[in-house]
Amino acid sequence: MLAAVVLAHPSPDAYCAALADRAATGLRAAGHDVELLDLYASNFVVAMSPSERAAYHGDEPMLDPQVRRHADIVRSADALVFVYPTWWSGLPAMLKGWLDRVMVPSVAFRFDDAGKVRPGLGQVRHIIGISTYGSPRPYVRLVNDNGRRILTRALRLSCGVRARPRWLALYSIDTSTVSDRVEFAARVERELAALR
Amino acid sequence: MTRALVVYCHPLEDSLVAVARDRVIAGLRAGGAEVRHTDLYALGFDPGFTASDHANHLVAGADPSLADHVADLQWCNMLVLVYPTWWSGQPAMLKGWIDRIWVNGVAWELPEGANRLRPLLRSLRRIVVVTTHGSSKLVNAVEGESGKRTVTRSLRTMCHPLTRTNWIALYGVDTLPAERRAAFLDRVERRLARLA
Repeated sequence: MLAAVVLAHPSPDAYCAALADRAATGLRAAGHDVELLDLYASNFVVAMSPSERAAYHGDEPMLDPQVRRHADIVRSADALVFVYPTWWSGLPAMLKGWLDRVMVPSVAFRFDDAGKVRPGLGQVRHIIGISTYGSPRPYVRLVNDNGRRILTRALRLSCGVRARPRWLALYSIDTSTVSDRVEFAARVERELAALR
Repeated sequence: MTRALVVYCHPLEDSLVAVARDRVIAGLRAGGAEVRHTDLYALGFDPGFTASDHANHLVAGADPSLADHVADLQWCNMLVLVYPTWWSGQPAMLKGWIDRIWVNGVAWELPEGANRLRPLLRSLRRIVVVTTHGSSKLVNAVEGESGKRTVTRSLRTMCHPLTRTNWIALYGVDTLPAERRAAFLDRVERRLARLA
């Protein structure tokens, strides 16, 4: 199985970067191949450009070689793993930009003859979110947990009917203890090592 | 006196959203509001929350290069966001404006010893969203309406307790006949003139 691990955190020494490492370690221990896409470290361009928007509905919606490379990985991935801090109840702009620019027609979906959207990621069996939150869980639920919904609902509609979303979250990170964080990182590795 | 800040986000000037922005401004002016306009793409706004933004996020104030954006947000008592909905949320460019401008000391503060954020945008009394969706209203409901909840719940929480929100949206935009788009644009101008 191939797993694409998409990391969106600006600091290389952040807790999220460590979580991505642990996720990759777990996946490799289970015998899976891992492609780590560290968006900040690879200077991924955040916002869709005017020329990309103009090309969006055409034959070749991808103009950036880095976007094409990421799209090739996504097309052959069995699992999509997202590791990021939740900001304003949603995805960091960097990760939202990755969806906007990589999950384009011919990759994540296609338009049929009637102009309806059809899923393009039928081979994806797992969508896994690993996120840290500043807020406690009840507050996150109250504001709708918008990043989680984008990945486990909107993106899931583009995947196969068998695709299983799974969510690993650490809430109230600012008041969490070292042992909370150590324990959560261990849980991330354990759960990803159990992925089949 | 209504002081309206219009934050517009679309990469192409010949888009329906660009026309909607013009009608928003026309409506606001007709209603007697004072209007400031921010065009994120035209300004070349950098939407990526940086490592230094992250390192300083417990220090009050945005990056000094963003002072104009902060001043506009603190000046307005009505915020109008005009953008296309992509992947059931704000485009990365606009999410980046939220990530980088609605920061500690601008949108919220965390007083010493407090365990929850205190809102700072108490003079902002109305947030209006004008947006287009490629998908139907039903699909948006299934996907969890992330973009809408980000505004009506997350952003609104950092304003006055009585701050109102208005959602003015056009669904299924890719397959709509021209007269439905024209009717939407007329509705946008009328609504904004009334809200001004």
